[in-house]
Amino acid sequence: MTWTRSALGVLALGTSALLLTGCGASGDGGGGGNGGGANDGTGEITGSIEIAWWGGDARNEKTNAVIDMFVEANEGVEANGQSADFQAYFDRLNVQAASQSLPCAVQLQGRQLNDYTSRDLLLPLDPMIESGAIDVSDIPEAVVDAGRGEDGNLYFLPYGAAYDAVGINTTLAEQAGVELPEEGYTWDDFVTFLEDAAAGLPEGTRAIDSNGGRPNFFIGWTQANGKTLFSEDGKLGFSQDDLVEYWTMWEDLREAGVTETAERTAEEPSGPDQGYFANGQLMSDTIPGNALTPVTAVLEGKGEGHEVTTIAYPSGPEGSGNALYPSGFAIPASCDNVPTAAAFVDFFTNDMEAGLVFASDNGAATNTAVLEAQLADPELSETKKHELELFQEIVANDPPTIVFPPGYQATFEAAFRQAYEQIAFGNQSVEEAAAAFIEQANAGLGG
Amino acid sequence: MATTSLPVPRRLFPARLVKNRLLTGIIRHTLLVCLLVVILYPLLWMVAASFRPNNEIFNGLGLFSGSFTLENYANGWAAGQQGFSRYFLNSTLVTVLSIVGNLISCSLTAYAFARLEFPFKRTLFAILLGTMLLPYHVTLVPQYVLFNELGWINTYLPLIVPRFLGTEAFFIFLMVQFIRTLPRELDESARLDGAGHFGIFARIIMPLALPAIGTTAMFTFIASWNDFLGPLLYLNRADLHTVPIALNTFLDSTGENAFGELFAMSTLSLAPIVGFFIVSQRLLIEGIATTGMK
Repeated sequence: MTWTRSALGVLALGTSALLLTGCGASGDGGGGGNGGGANDGTGEITGSIEIAWWGGDARNEKTNAVIDMFVEANEGVEANGQSADFQAYFDRLNVQAASQSLPCAVQLQGRQLNDYTSRDLLLPLDPMIESGAIDVSDIPEAVVDAGRGEDGNLYFLPYGAAYDAVGINTTLAEQAGVELPEEGYTWDDFVTFLEDAAAGLPEGTRAIDSNGGRPNFFIGWTQANGKTLFSEDGKLGFSQDDLVEYWTMWEDLREAGVTETAERTAEEPSGPDQGYFANGQLMSDTIPGNALTPVTAVLEGKGEGHEVTTIAYPSGPEGSGNALYPSGFAIPASCDNVPTAAAFVDFFTNDMEAGLVFASDNGAATNTAVLEAQLADPELSETKKHELELFQEIVANDPPTIVFPPGYQATFEAAFRQAYEQIAFGNQSVEEAAAAFIEQANAGLGG
Repeated sequence: MATTSLPVPRRLFPARLVKNRLLTGIIRHTLLVCLLVVILYPLLWMVAASFRPNNEIFNGLGLFSGSFTLENYANGWAAGQQGFSRYFLNSTLVTVLSIVGNLISCSLTAYAFARLEFPFKRTLFAILLGTMLLPYHVTLVPQYVLFNELGWINTYLPLIVPRFLGTEAFFIFLMVQFIRTLPRELDESARLDGAGHFGIFARIIMPLALPAIGTTAMFTFIASWNDFLGPLLYLNRADLHTVPIALNTFLDSTGENAFGELFAMSTLSLAPIVGFFIVSQRLLIEGIATTGMK
């Protein structure tokens, strides 16, 4: 008797749980309602808006300073900021998105953009550019395009462009007796460079991390060789043979002892300032372009006199392999103060004073005038200057733009690493792992 | 049936390995200390790292390095938009109110389930226990919508009010189990002396249930002191931030991390928990030993 009663209770509970999740899901998809009419962002700039971004203390301070400048420049405007570290930021953003209460200016990257656009959560910015509410005249077109969604509309205005670079420990390279690859070098040159270096490196160091499992180099490799990463319908655009070719290249390097071992790579701490490269144990690695400054600081702390620099990714027959990953502010469809939000997005990206205060804290400033002004600043540190100049070099080489389908961040990155680990630990052949990965990724991507 | 007498097997080992009690003591304690060092090492490493300059923190697994600095503590305490004295104050406020809320609501509910008779008592209790099976994430979005509609974002209410409504089934269950072990004769004799339910609750049950109360207070303290997701969702203003949220601002996976300050402030944020544990240790162990939470 007791048993049936409590079973009933559990059943009732299960039903209510289902109802609850149902509510959440419907809230998720119902965002399109007020985004129907084109909003050109003109109107009175007044009232209050919420602004959300990711970052730590240093960036919060700079962003808040810019927000204060914006409030000062626009009478009657009140702006509140909210921030958190990258992962936590998106945890909160997703809850806010599901409950239709996104802040009026939210910071996004291309990697997550289409998770939001596919649910009609964001306003297209093109009408606001046409109306003059947002100015893009000083931003290179290739950079602006990185803010476009799958439907070709602009959904966020890139203000800072991050890029991946090849970090090189010049001290170790010198000890190994190799010259740095010259600008415009290809993947073949890069592989030769690594193999040559491996022969002469001191004990306890390797030429490069075991990188087959990281999407960064793979994206660069596909772009340089003219492969498509994602198809129009948001599935994988490259073939199994492409992936096998790519992974075989890394496997050959790993088996020859050029790369770090599979075991050490698997247990490497994430974060460019904690990794093996930052500790002087690797001659090169892929690092975010703006990680040069912290990595230099860590190596200084080691006191072994190691120096590092960054160079662009290898090129190929189809040109540059350096994709840009800009961050920028988007305006949600649920925003009730679009004119002020549009004014803020414009101010943050284009205002000269604001740009100097923010100082390319999250990728190089996309506004070329602002970038020039920052480079002209005599107080700019050497490493930061190199970061910005490399960005200029990459932009000059017509970088590819990648539209990431919905589900990219949730599916692709983890599955890619796991699949390569299966190979590196000898559980699967390259072909098996490639087939398994393609099936798994296609199941989670798109739609 | 004939009784077959099995030969008693000879002991492989003597019942007592070593007769010398001093020696057993030394061996036992050496083993325990070794185990303790292994368990505590990450914590010790964090404390040691908090005294190192920022760019030397990941220089190895050793505890001691040449350079010693208190800079991390000074910088860390002043970090953020408000400084850590504010964050500690906020955390204390949320934690104290959460403990008060949980103690009042859970003990009252537990008394009702353990001592009162009312319709659907078993079903309701089953539902209560069922809520423990619900992952937090299932109710996350509906909860946020609710609190958003109520206009409670950027207040402490979403973190505190639920505690006053007995939403923590685990602690109710814990107290029910404890109160059930108390002899009913005590209630009855109190009743003969003219005590009502509140009298019995306040004068008989609560004083006897002290271990369970201590356990509840301790666990609530740890949970709300360390809570990250709740404050992250509901407290967006820097002046409202609690310690875990403030600690998160030292990290920036897309920029520069301030690990030195992070470790320094983490060390400080552990102090109240360790202190609270030392104070309530006796109560806590008694509570765990007597409530069937084994």
